[in-house]
Amino acid sequence: MRRFIVVNKTVVTPWAVSGEIDYDKLIERFGTKRIDRDLLERIRNHTGTLHMHLRRGIFYSHRDMDRILDEHEKGNRFVLYTGRGPSGPVHLGHLVPWLFTKHLQDVFGAKLFFQFTDDEKLMLRPEFSEADTRHWVYENSLDLMALGFDPEKTEFIVNLRHPENVYPIAIQIAKKTTISTIKAVFGFNGDSSTGLMFFPSIQAAPCFIESYRTGEQVPMFNPSWDRSGHILEDNP
Amino acid sequence: MNKMPDEPEEMKITPWEVTGDIDYDKLIDQFGVQPMTRDIEDRIAKHAGFKHLQLRRGVYLSHRDTDWWLNEYEKGNKVGLYTGRGPSGNVHLGHLLPWFFTKYLQDAFDADLYFQMTDDEKYMYRDYLELEETIGNTYDNALDLIACGFDPKKTHIISDTENISHLYKIAVKVAKRVTYSTVKAVFGFKDSDNIGMIWFPAVQAAPCFVQSDREGRNIPCLIPAAIDQDPYWRMTRDIAEKLNYYKPAQIHAKFLPGLAQGGKMSASQPDTAIFTTDPPKKAEKKIMKAFTGGRDTVEEQKKLGGRPEICNVYAYYYFLFEENDQKLVDIENECRSGAIMCGDCKKRLAERIKVFLADFQEKREKAKDVLDDFFIKPVEG
Repeated sequence: MRRFIVVNKTVVTPWAVSGEIDYDKLIERFGTKRIDRDLLERIRNHTGTLHMHLRRGIFYSHRDMDRILDEHEKGNRFVLYTGRGPSGPVHLGHLVPWLFTKHLQDVFGAKLFFQFTDDEKLMLRPEFSEADTRHWVYENSLDLMALGFDPEKTEFIVNLRHPENVYPIAIQIAKKTTISTIKAVFGFNGDSSTGLMFFPSIQAAPCFIESYRTGEQVPMFNPSWDRSGHILEDNP
Repeated sequence: MNKMPDEPEEMKITPWEVTGDIDYDKLIDQFGVQPMTRDIEDRIAKHAGFKHLQLRRGVYLSHRDTDWWLNEYEKGNKVGLYTGRGPSGNVHLGHLLPWFFTKYLQDAFDADLYFQMTDDEKYMYRDYLELEETIGNTYDNALDLIACGFDPKKTHIISDTENISHLYKIAVKVAKRVTYSTVKAVFGFKDSDNIGMIWFPAVQAAPCFVQSDREGRNIPCLIPAAIDQDPYWRMTRDIAEKLNYYKPAQIHAKFLPGLAQGGKMSASQPDTAIFTTDPPKKAEKKIMKAFTGGRDTVEEQKKLGGRPEICNVYAYYYFLFEENDQKLVDIENECRSGAIMCGDCKKRLAERIKVFLADFQEKREKAKDVLDDFFIKPVEG
């Protein structure tokens, strides 16, 4: 049994979201920061007009987005990272953060790493086969491409297909992450698969991929829904 | 000369630690493995055309399903081999012992060998090791493997970190079926251990199935390795059939003793291990300080004779450096009768080790030119 983070009757974990969601309480629980008027103004300075998702408070909390803007203002580049667990067809809910990510790519000219966590899906779903994950990676990548991401600046990371992209980074994260930590963060227990318990380090790896490849410190920005709980080692 | 202690030291055998006085009968019992049989030894010898020194001298004390693996071969089916190394430092004679035997099996059964370098695990297990170091050791230790004379066309070295694409899919399927409770029970992990360590058993299991995956049909896999690795195979055997693979078979080697009393040769005690890269003179010095079965005084030695059964110098003749069985008996008799003193016996062994090292180091040097040929390549076509 997983330990769910429950806010009233609300369940929000990387695997399940249900109930009435109180976003103020989520900010408190997850220890993130509200995107306030000042930050919105700062973003507007760079983007001209504010994206609909910011105007309407759909992207409403953050960690260190101000730091990313600091770096950008100093003339340093940053990269974007988001991803998808390819377990079925893409729906409108998935498109919301991707549309916003596309906007960030366009206005900041940032490179995007997009991780397909087919390895996690294969381990999470008892009935899932390798052929299923291959099918959904292909299908879901069509959705992404349909959004118009810049092929020069977008890199798909398909874990089962090219684990060499993430594995050397993941084991460095894993070495510094204890079993106690992931039990507390994700609620694993004795019945959990050892693969799923290692997996947070695979999901964290793309945060450092650009730095790992170039040998420079490249800041990473990660636009996503509020299913935090990801292990954020060096504060992307 | 050395004294015997009053009490035997308590035996501790895990994949990470082997200490104390090793009681092999107890191990067979504890690990629930099958004792080696004369029939299996003879069948291996028949296919090889001769009986390897290590088979004649009982180095392989136990097994799981080696008879089944031989049956498959005798039915005309292709068979494979898998073993490996944790590249935490230099290779010593204790590592070479099962590699020599693996080379003999490769020749006898015309088998592909998958050889895993667990540079991911060594990095995650040892606080002080950097990833660059363990990967560096992989390439360095590969020279030792190549120097053993393996066939480049049939040998596939896998660096876990650099060649993960050959293993990851299989490891994920294994890990899906291995729970935290299972690895806790098998390996004794604690919540303060890192999450890489509990994942790793699936990575060590993967090469058992890699040949079957690459060739698109089930190929029986035999793992020649020291018995401390057995917990991994016990775990792997439990899930193999759920993944539609054969259970891997094992043949378990005894440990080569170190130069000090008790335990196995271990790189963590460099003065008591002969490394393949030791200058021959340095190896000689180490041998001259080895623990023996000698008596306290020359007089006692002449009167009572030495005790080869507890002597590490004798163990090196026995495991590696006296091929001829009759000559080995002669060495034993000389010792028991008190006809030879430990110093002379050590000198004689040191000479052989120096010759061995000079030759091995030359082969090791030549291996640098062919290193790439031995690392795993994608399947063609």
